[in-house]
Amino acid sequence: MRNFYPRAGIAWTAIVGLLWYGLWTVAAVATARVLSDPDNIALMNKALPGALQLMFLYWQVVPLLMAATGASLELRKLQAYPIPVSQLFAIEVMLRVTAGIEMLLVLIGIAAGVLLNPRLPHSGALAVVPYILFNLFLAVGVRDVVARILARKRIREAAFLLLVICAGLPQFLLTRGSSIDGRFRKLFTGDSWSGWPWTATANLVRGHDTLRAAALILAWTAAAAVFGRWQFRRTLSFDAQAAGAGSSRPGSRQGWVERFYRLPSVLIRDPLGALIEKEIRSLTRSPRFRLVFLMGFTFGLVVWLPMALGRSGATNSFLGTNYLTVVSVYSLLLLSEVCFWNSFGFDRSATQIYFLAPVPFSRVLIGKNLSAVFFILIEISVVTAVCALLRLPLNAQRLAEAYTVAGVVTIFLLSAGNLLSIHQARGVNPTASFRSSAAGRVQSMLFLIYPIAFLPAGLAYLARYAFDTQTAFFAVLAVDAVIGLIVYRIALESAVEAAERLKEKMVASLSLGDGPITG
Amino acid sequence: MPELSPAIEVQNLRKLYGSKAAVDGLTFSVPRRCFFGFLGPNGAGKTTTIKMLMGLAPPSSGAIQLLGLSMPEHALEIKRLIGLVPDESLLFDHLTGGEFVEFVGRIYGLERPVARERSAELLELFELAGDRKKLIAEYSKGMRKRVAMAAALIHRPQLFLMDEPFEGVDAVGARLMKDILLEQVRRGATIFLTSHVLEVVERLCDRVAIINEGRLVLEGSMAELRGASETLEDAFVRALGVERTAETLDWL
Repeated sequence: MRNFYPRAGIAWTAIVGLLWYGLWTVAAVATARVLSDPDNIALMNKALPGALQLMFLYWQVVPLLMAATGASLELRKLQAYPIPVSQLFAIEVMLRVTAGIEMLLVLIGIAAGVLLNPRLPHSGALAVVPYILFNLFLAVGVRDVVARILARKRIREAAFLLLVICAGLPQFLLTRGSSIDGRFRKLFTGDSWSGWPWTATANLVRGHDTLRAAALILAWTAAAAVFGRWQFRRTLSFDAQAAGAGSSRPGSRQGWVERFYRLPSVLIRDPLGALIEKEIRSLTRSPRFRLVFLMGFTFGLVVWLPMALGRSGATNSFLGTNYLTVVSVYSLLLLSEVCFWNSFGFDRSATQIYFLAPVPFSRVLIGKNLSAVFFILIEISVVTAVCALLRLPLNAQRLAEAYTVAGVVTIFLLSAGNLLSIHQARGVNPTASFRSSAAGRVQSMLFLIYPIAFLPAGLAYLARYAFDTQTAFFAVLAVDAVIGLIVYRIALESAVEAAERLKEKMVASLSLGDGPITG
Repeated sequence: MPELSPAIEVQNLRKLYGSKAAVDGLTFSVPRRCFFGFLGPNGAGKTTTIKMLMGLAPPSSGAIQLLGLSMPEHALEIKRLIGLVPDESLLFDHLTGGEFVEFVGRIYGLERPVARERSAELLELFELAGDRKKLIAEYSKGMRKRVAMAAALIHRPQLFLMDEPFEGVDAVGARLMKDILLEQVRRGATIFLTSHVLEVVERLCDRVAIINEGRLVLEGSMAELRGASETLEDAFVRALGVERTAETLDWL
């Protein structure tokens, strides 16, 4: 993360990294302890292939779903230099570690457990090496294929939607009773086909059918290397600018699109109206924003809905009764990355216009916040519409709950976001679909911020539980909203004061370009 | 607003970055209706000075008055009266040229229909009408400069602050921009510009100031600076005292 407060930025990144990777280190140590116990061989036989498969999915699929694929080479800049392709490819393969450091830690835990277990061959620990290489090579290929697809503007969103549906299918099948459920579950157990890379690795670790397992995992690794290198070469000769040209041109602007853009300025006077209109125009044309917006409701629905419905479709659980609120708040949190935390990121050096124009900076921030609210309202409305289409039970109370809880959370997120947007401002490429930070770290930041932002709404749920009445719930939410508005006002004034003091550094930070490695 | 006050008056202006002074005790004045060239070698402090005039960088010490109003006390009033073309892009890539110019007009206080009409006329004037529906991200560097200048003109400012306005602009575009700027001066506006292209400054400017290492080394009318037979380039090199012949490297 690049910002103009290097110490604060490093401290924040270090705390988040320490917490997140500390958690995974604990998981790795726990894995090592379980696997080192000779009495756990039966458990290992049953669970190891499934665990390795989940690691594979975490490494390959989660970065794509979070649109955060870790550090990567900026090939456009490096191609001008006489660096052999093989060396660039080798660096890119190594950089894929940044997309799955968590899995690397767990695999080291597995290797340590095998070494400490007297009933397992010590050579089994080496099995994790080709499995890591297989995942690294495959991650290069998959990332490159998806990045090229997402660079083509006309098919970007459709391709992403397809990806989300494909990724959500396993969870849907696992949580809903279906005829193929049993067969699907077999994939995660020791009974799955022995030809899969995760099963072959598990067999190699356990010393079962060693020669065949070694041949299989080496063959998978070689295939992944060929695939990765092939895709890497195709990316080298890919012209992203040409692929994205033309479609971004609003030349065939229909009347209704223009009316949509102008909607806020019909209701709100200039300069606030002009600022909101500019924000809506810019954001809706930014590929990065569109992808995150799409992710907001699709990923929210795909993750939470199957869990809410459960295997029998019953809706009596907490998730079942509150699914609309849960999905709405989750969508809101995903959207916060492009709407709250770095409000000036997409504007980059153009941010200086807000300091040069005769507009109070508070208006600029309010304009950004109101545009964020505008998109959040659309996002939650889409979630509601999808739930209605799926014929899920909806009533006025559930709708009111979803919108008020999301509203209260939004006020607190906006307050924090305004301060962060000034103090942690950094330029973001609005045309790059993928974020260069690792998916895990993004999730960890969300999970750190989530409890703080959700605390006031959580108190409302506590009141409903304690008093067993909706009145208490909504009364606490109303108090939360009032407190939130006071917090928002204070945060806004503080952000304006900081912006005036730090504008020079802020503009400089937002104007910085990317280096040879983005991340 | 006092009518006879200079367009720009700078007194003992300093800007420190740590212990290094980017601008060190600068004092100069720009009369109204003047085309003023602000010159200096790379790293002399031109951009820092213009940023302080624009209100983007607060000075470490010294005083600035624009159009008779002091900065930063009257910042909002001053901003309404000036037009800006900074060195870094202030264009939003995902707006079209027309949308951007209209947006600037509206935040400078023009009514929407007026801003829209002027935006269309300005794009026509800057020969960008054919590309008005193109996103700025697709514009060339020269087109970006032209749209930035069109936006700077939309609210009819009295003073223009321009940092390298002709950088990256082709000969035809530069000629067009120069004509428009000269017309603005004839109309009564004042222009303060920095440029590396001395020929441009020589042709356009009435007065010139040269700075080096944050200090003013020469100021005067174009005639005073050039003398009888010198070009502005000769005067520039002499003022900086850096005349030297090109060296060669043995291995090159």
